[in-house]
Amino acid sequence: PPETRAAARARPRSGPAPVTDVAKLCVCDLLVAQCDVNCCCDPDCSAADFSLFTTCSVPIVTGDSRFCSQKAAIYSLDVEANPPERIFKLIDQVNPSVFCIHATNYEQALSFSSPEMPTAENFDELLEQFGSASFSAEPDSWNMNTDAQNPSDENETYRYEYGVPIQTVDAFLRLPSPVVSSWCSDANPAGFLLNQATKCIRSLSVEKCGNIQAVSMLFYINSSILAVSITVHSIVVQSLNGMRTLLNGSDVLRLPMVLDELCINIVLGVSYHITYTDAGEIIEAAASFVLGAINKEALSIQQSFEISFTQVHTKPVPLSGNPGYVVGLPVRAGFRPQGYPFPIEILFAPLVLNTNKYSQLTILQSTSNQDCLAAQGARTPILFGYNMISGCKLRITAAMKCQPLTQTLLDLLKGQSFPEYVASFGNSQAQDVLNWVPITHLHISEQRIYNIFQSSCQIPISLEMEVKWTKYGSLVNPQARIVNVTATITTTTLKQLPSGRERTIPITSSVVFTDISSPAEPGYKAWPTINAKLPFDFFFPFV
Amino acid sequence: NNSYQLSSVPLQILFYVNGIYYIFYFLATLAMIVYKSQVFSYPDDFLAPDLTLLFIMAILEVLRLYLGSKGNLTEEEAPLGLSLVITVGSVILSVYFLVWQTYVLKADVIINAVLLFTYGLESVLQVIAIAAFVS
Repeated sequence: PPETRAAARARPRSGPAPVTDVAKLCVCDLLVAQCDVNCCCDPDCSAADFSLFTTCSVPIVTGDSRFCSQKAAIYSLDVEANPPERIFKLIDQVNPSVFCIHATNYEQALSFSSPEMPTAENFDELLEQFGSASFSAEPDSWNMNTDAQNPSDENETYRYEYGVPIQTVDAFLRLPSPVVSSWCSDANPAGFLLNQATKCIRSLSVEKCGNIQAVSMLFYINSSILAVSITVHSIVVQSLNGMRTLLNGSDVLRLPMVLDELCINIVLGVSYHITYTDAGEIIEAAASFVLGAINKEALSIQQSFEISFTQVHTKPVPLSGNPGYVVGLPVRAGFRPQGYPFPIEILFAPLVLNTNKYSQLTILQSTSNQDCLAAQGARTPILFGYNMISGCKLRITAAMKCQPLTQTLLDLLKGQSFPEYVASFGNSQAQDVLNWVPITHLHISEQRIYNIFQSSCQIPISLEMEVKWTKYGSLVNPQARIVNVTATITTTTLKQLPSGRERTIPITSSVVFTDISSPAEPGYKAWPTINAKLPFDFFFPFV
Repeated sequence: NNSYQLSSVPLQILFYVNGIYYIFYFLATLAMIVYKSQVFSYPDDFLAPDLTLLFIMAILEVLRLYLGSKGNLTEEEAPLGLSLVITVGSVILSVYFLVWQTYVLKADVIINAVLLFTYGLESVLQVIAIAAFVS
């Protein structure tokens, strides 16, 4: 039975209804929505899975064997057949003993009775009954009234807990992910409040384009999460050369079809966004798609999936720590337009597949071809606690002019919009001015002093950022806090080259995190002071 | 004088066999109740009625066999009639142990079936004997 419980209001919560049908019981079915190995009674296994088993770990499922006659489900593998198949038989098992139970007039005789679930009303009574060191084995109040047990009712709201697979009408909300190898497996259920992002490869060709369900939009929005249906939030179409366009109308369902030897409208990425309430109910589900096209030569595509959860009535702001920075999370930064720091991350739209890097401090990302001028602005966010260094090689020819080159290099090193403030804590809010640290800029020039009269061209060749942080807070749980950020640009003189010659200089960019925490001082509570003051009218007649 | 003997010999034989069989039945049922209370969950509310009825049945059986035997041998229809009435009670108790007991094992079914068969046979012979004595 699924892990659901009735909403905990006035009615007492009851456990799931007991399953007594031997054909439906399976003790080796441990993985949800996945086939368990050598488990012949698992309903998630297909005939192909059965052909790979060696034995059946659970050969027989019966009720109490003390009964004279009872139903038994027998599972076995027929290894003679090719491929091996599972045999399932439902038989009546007879107990030959003369002391077998023919009938019983006592209902609770041979099954475990479900204990009463404690609620606010019956807690005192249960405590009185069971709270002492021993209690009688079968008190009178243990009546198994089957009316109180309420198996899952479709009209009730479901309360999810962290990690529980999200249920849909037929099974679970699936997020295809790579299992063992990089090929997609469709049996990965999405867990509640587990933000996941997966990428996997699916084999696909133009001939089979209409047949494979997992590349069609319908597969991902077909199953509704119980009462909530999955809506399409946006569709981005990616052309063969990688250019993406956002479609205007996103309510049209685009199914894969063959057009001019291309297969278009195949799903390259899905991003689910689930909205939940603080009671643990899912109230909205939206999916954003990236659709693409493949040509005849393609044999496989890479699909990426992600799922994120937001609480209703809140805006998702990714924190890098609460309150101190967590090692590995990006350093948050922002600008200050007229008056107060205004991190642009508030405009972060969770439903677009590519993240907005302007809310973070970023560093130049080295590319495989180390040419600075060819690397078009690829930047990677700076992660707290991780010293990074990156760079590229700049080929200077005689024809290059100083000023544009300087500007290009500055853009390359600093990025398009270099922030002015860095968040002191991982959860600094835009409104708190004091929680933001300004970035100090320094300028060092490597100047060769042999010819000071020659007008020189200074080009920046390296950007070094030093982030000084300290441990803040209590001794047992120190929080990381950034106190100082310095960005140092080193420039060097660019000597004029004779025409035809070219020179290569390395450009580097680095970030270093330095711990400047002072040793902790234990703080003692102040001694209580004796408040011995005479009342003001003590010397009454004289004062 | 055999020609004036109205007492039914088969009935007497049956009473004798019934007596021996009932001793076995009583001990077997008691032993099985003890076994059930150890092996299964047998709360006191259910154990008490079963034991009580078993002892009541034993007392009724003794009375029944005594009256029936006496009535058959003295060729009086009154004790035999009373014995027949008590037989009805014994039949009901035997059906209880066959169907309405807390746990009915296969052995219970067997011995109660034999007992009911014996009662049936005895009732028939008692009716014939009463008819013989009355006329």
